[in-house]
Amino acid sequence: MLEQLLNSILKADFLFAVLRITAPILFATLGAVVAEKAGVVNIGLEGTMMITALFGFLIAYWTQSWILGVLGAVLVGALLGLMMGFFALKLKTDIILAGIAVNMLGAGGTIFLLNMFTGLRGNTGNLVSPNILIPTISIPLINKIPILGEILSGHAILTYLAFLFVWLMWVLLYKTPVGLNIRAVGENADAASSVGVSVLKVKYIAIALSGAMAGFGGAFMSMYYSQGWNSGMVAGRGFIALAAQAMGRGEPVGSMLSSLLFGMAQALRTKVSGLQGVSSYLVAMIPYLVTVIGLVLYSIGQTRKMRKHSIRPVL
Amino acid sequence: MRDRRMAWFGIARGAAAITLALGVATIFIFLSSETPWTALRYLLIGPLVTFRDTGISFNAQYLYQILAAMIPITFTGLAVTVMFSANQFNLAGEGCVLTGGFIGGILGVYLNINSGWHAVVAVLIATLACGLVMLIPALLKVKLGASEMVTSLMLNFILLNLVNHYLNFQFADRSKGATMTKPFQPTAIIPSLVPGNSKLTVGFIAAMAATALVAFFLYRTRWGYAIRMIGINESFALYSGMNVGGTIILSQVIGGMLSGMGGSLEVLGRYQTYLWRDLPGYGWVGITIAILAKNNPAFVPLAAFFIAYLNKGCLLMSTYCDVPVEMIDIIQAAIFLFFAAEQFLSGYRQKLVVKTTQEDLMKLDASLLNGGENHA
Repeated sequence: MLEQLLNSILKADFLFAVLRITAPILFATLGAVVAEKAGVVNIGLEGTMMITALFGFLIAYWTQSWILGVLGAVLVGALLGLMMGFFALKLKTDIILAGIAVNMLGAGGTIFLLNMFTGLRGNTGNLVSPNILIPTISIPLINKIPILGEILSGHAILTYLAFLFVWLMWVLLYKTPVGLNIRAVGENADAASSVGVSVLKVKYIAIALSGAMAGFGGAFMSMYYSQGWNSGMVAGRGFIALAAQAMGRGEPVGSMLSSLLFGMAQALRTKVSGLQGVSSYLVAMIPYLVTVIGLVLYSIGQTRKMRKHSIRPVL
Repeated sequence: MRDRRMAWFGIARGAAAITLALGVATIFIFLSSETPWTALRYLLIGPLVTFRDTGISFNAQYLYQILAAMIPITFTGLAVTVMFSANQFNLAGEGCVLTGGFIGGILGVYLNINSGWHAVVAVLIATLACGLVMLIPALLKVKLGASEMVTSLMLNFILLNLVNHYLNFQFADRSKGATMTKPFQPTAIIPSLVPGNSKLTVGFIAAMAATALVAFFLYRTRWGYAIRMIGINESFALYSGMNVGGTIILSQVIGGMLSGMGGSLEVLGRYQTYLWRDLPGYGWVGITIAILAKNNPAFVPLAAFFIAYLNKGCLLMSTYCDVPVEMIDIIQAAIFLFFAAEQFLSGYRQKLVVKTTQEDLMKLDASLLNGGENHA
């Protein structure tokens, strides 16, 4: 059985699948990164992905254009972020509760909205058509390279975008004034405010960006990954993103690596569940278990580091 | 004077938040329904009265159903209240309800105790087991500083898959079409309080007893005091010598136990076999209830009644009209956002504070003046 498993993993299509599965988690993780950098916990990523997945798909269906669908999803995501920001920053609802409210809208509200807009229940069924799905592209030259070409070429445009965004997010956070402000506000809001940074504005920007990132993830889920919207489709990816952010120490590149780890766990799940005599339920646990174990290992590292630091001044 | 005015302000603000949430619901009803007025009628007064050609009449059976629906969400509401009081954002109540229900159900099938103690033992073991489950996020938080929020969210999915694994591969009754266990033994079924099919069981009494217990625990014992103190100011609690780690663990274990008890009472009270295939959602509703009750256990049953009432209203609305039952999630989210908003109507509160203070000052002036005159 192990041999069988190894055979199926040590193939180009497995790594291809890892990249494909990582992409939506990566989008949401980047959303968690930018929010956390500004000192905002966005637990609403899960719900934002559900809602944007629905709107992305519906807008694409109405306009018969996948680009408009993706843009619509991103816009809706940013608006949801701003709504959370309004309640959390203006009306002082606890940000975690505001996030849970968004998740409730994502779980039940989407089913309601789908029914309201289309009369369908629970999934988009046969509304899907080729021109509303995000197209895949094969990269010239690279697709000629054996193995590597199979892994890297032929992905959806948004998959490449997800990895491009890791770099862009790093540039934004570390090379632009906005990023400096975001980090300053997250590090010490009072200090940032004392040098004239508008803390509120920066937090609004960060949470709107966070929502927009989740919007990309949502669009990817309904317009490419699942090829349609259904009520259980996000399945905790927004929550996994929070863990990936924590494990990646809140940095874009580190978070990408932990997203890849979860992507791999998820890909492994699909491979293992195809084998005989394996419980699909136990296999389905893998990504979540990996998340907890990863978080535990990261926390052990953190506590050790803190202990080291707290001893040093004494010596 | 001031306290009373502030209390009234709190109530008025809560009422305004709920009205606003229902207003949002009304907008969506008008957007989605062909017969919005009928739908609204079902939502708001449908749970209490039946409409007939001859007129309207009180419907006791509906009331029993609402009270029955309060059972699991009162427990999860209490669980969240205890955990949030200690500022622990543990969101695994959902998974614990499922696990408690499953363990209770399995014991209901396979345990052999030929008396009413069967149900009691099954529920208690499920309760303890869920307390143990909550040790995982609690210990990880206290020992390693891992965010209980993230681990508890992951725990929900782990528990769901674990339960489904054992249900499918160990305990499923293959003679049935759907995946479910063998039927519970009659001794394990929680007895009903009222005639009819409302499922209003002894569990309701247990829920009320649990409410009293939790209220006593949080406000009349030193552990409860420690929990609330940590919630208000963790550093202060630490420096004043409280066992912060132990109390954080305690609060989450109690949260797990209450959720597990609610789950097992629900499964053994409502069904004939264990048949949940997905997270039942009571854990999340528990958070709404804790917010509505302002983290005060005494108000939890009231909040639970309110949510159960709305839920029944939504159910009726989807049965007799064309509004999907998921309306309840939109209402809940709106309640969540407005009710938990500390600054909601803050301008008005500001005015109220200013006015009260001015009045107090004037009274003070007057009494000083009187006192002065008397002296002279």
